[in-house]
Amino acid sequence: MTILGDSGFDMPLSPEPGINFDRVHFSYPDKSPILTEVSWQLPRGGSAVITGGVGSGKSTLLYLAAGLIGPQKGNILLGGFPITPLLPSERFRHGLRVGFVFQEGGLLANMSARANVSLALHYHADVLALDEEAIEARTQASLEQAHIDPHDWDALPAHMSFGNRKRVALARAMAIRPAFFFFDDPDVGLDQRTALLIHELLCKLRDDPDVTLLVATNRGVLMERLEIPGYRLGGGSLTTRTEVHSIFPQAPVAPSWPAPGR
Amino acid sequence: MNPKDAPAEVSFFEGLGRSTLVFGQVVERLLLTWISAFRAASAPGEGARNVCRGIALKQIFYTSFQALGLISVVATFIGATLIVQTELLGAVERETAGRFLVAIILRELAPLVTAILVAGRSGTAIATELGVMRVNYEVLALASLGIDPPRFLVWPRIVATLVSVPILTVYFSAMAVLGGFSAAFVMDPNGAGDWLAGISMGLTPMDVPLFLTKSLGLGSIVGWLSCYYGLDVGVSSTEVPVKASRAVVQTLLACITFNTATTIAFYWLMGTRLR
Repeated sequence: MTILGDSGFDMPLSPEPGINFDRVHFSYPDKSPILTEVSWQLPRGGSAVITGGVGSGKSTLLYLAAGLIGPQKGNILLGGFPITPLLPSERFRHGLRVGFVFQEGGLLANMSARANVSLALHYHADVLALDEEAIEARTQASLEQAHIDPHDWDALPAHMSFGNRKRVALARAMAIRPAFFFFDDPDVGLDQRTALLIHELLCKLRDDPDVTLLVATNRGVLMERLEIPGYRLGGGSLTTRTEVHSIFPQAPVAPSWPAPGR
Repeated sequence: MNPKDAPAEVSFFEGLGRSTLVFGQVVERLLLTWISAFRAASAPGEGARNVCRGIALKQIFYTSFQALGLISVVATFIGATLIVQTELLGAVERETAGRFLVAIILRELAPLVTAILVAGRSGTAIATELGVMRVNYEVLALASLGIDPPRFLVWPRIVATLVSVPILTVYFSAMAVLGGFSAAFVMDPNGAGDWLAGISMGLTPMDVPLFLTKSLGLGSIVGWLSCYYGLDVGVSSTEVPVKASRAVVQTLLACITFNTATTIAFYWLMGTRLR
């Protein structure tokens, strides 16, 4: 079965509209390959953790899976659509909503927290059928959901702590209500409260049958909390992990989420 | 030094081949910057159009309105200097001096110097801003939100320089005439009228296509190369100043080459009608 996209490309519809890697090869110049002929699949609504040593390419694997970069060989299907020929906005119009929380947040430096969260809503206002009032309501709801102090809503990222920047990145990703969620080292460098917020959110996403979740981490605490299939990336291949413990063990973190202070 | 670490000797032809290959890749990526910006800009989406229109208007404001002070000073002094120099020659009639101003400043220096000033002021800002965005994963973050980076980042900036350079060129020309007239008036209040008559005689209808070709071409070169070098930054922040500097140097070279080529083409095709 094929459907014709806005870009005019014939796109085969995958029988498993999750994340499909078909003999994917990717390497950076003058470095050993991150992926060599890797075929891998994560079904729609499934969850997985990617582990691997420093520089093994966990973040790159997430970029590939989310369609942010293209492979040098092979095909990647996201929600049944090949990622390569489509523009990000074309994928969005096809209903492929991706939420990506970058290791460093990836917030736009010249925009306030509120503007960062509402940007995609304004950009896709016609697709999401949102007017100005609905955009403002959804922006506020996302910022509140991420427990961001209203005093920080109009602050620039440079004036926020690392933890708050990560929360804004989370709010920004949640605002578009994505079906595919990608977290790159979600709890590294965070205060305990923000780390717990992220852990709880990850557990909710894991249990949501409409959300496909992919997390890159080496944190044993998080892997133990999530209890989802793990894959180890290294030497150009992706192998199934059996044990759930960190290669860099962390101190245990209290599982309950304290009430946010305002 | 370990013999393995020593650089391998490369023959002349091998070096030439490699340089040609690298040049070809740069040209390909340069063209892709334009093509992807056009493709993304023509993609559907009323919301995207509104957002990008807002960014383009802001960029036009930064690029043109905020440069007026700088352009005023440079254009006034260049206009005044040319008139003082022609007056110093002594034998040049004032009408001829006015025609010199049309040929040298309005046709040549106004578009070129404007483009150079925009490249130095806004081109570096564009390349640095985009480079920092690359390093901070902001470009990838945009793509993850379904926002096309060429449409959101490249297109508004090319539109801004494309619109701003012609506007600033007209302004530069007006300020240069004002500077020249002021200098002519100070030196000889009775002869300033002859000088203005020389300007009106020097201008021809063919100056309109020449002006449009030069200013639009130079405007697009400034935005295009600045965006290309900004987005060519990899993952290291040390690359940002290197690419910003390269953006300005390459833009200057491209602008001068384009300006000269356009002048030659116009004088070859319709030289008699420009006299």
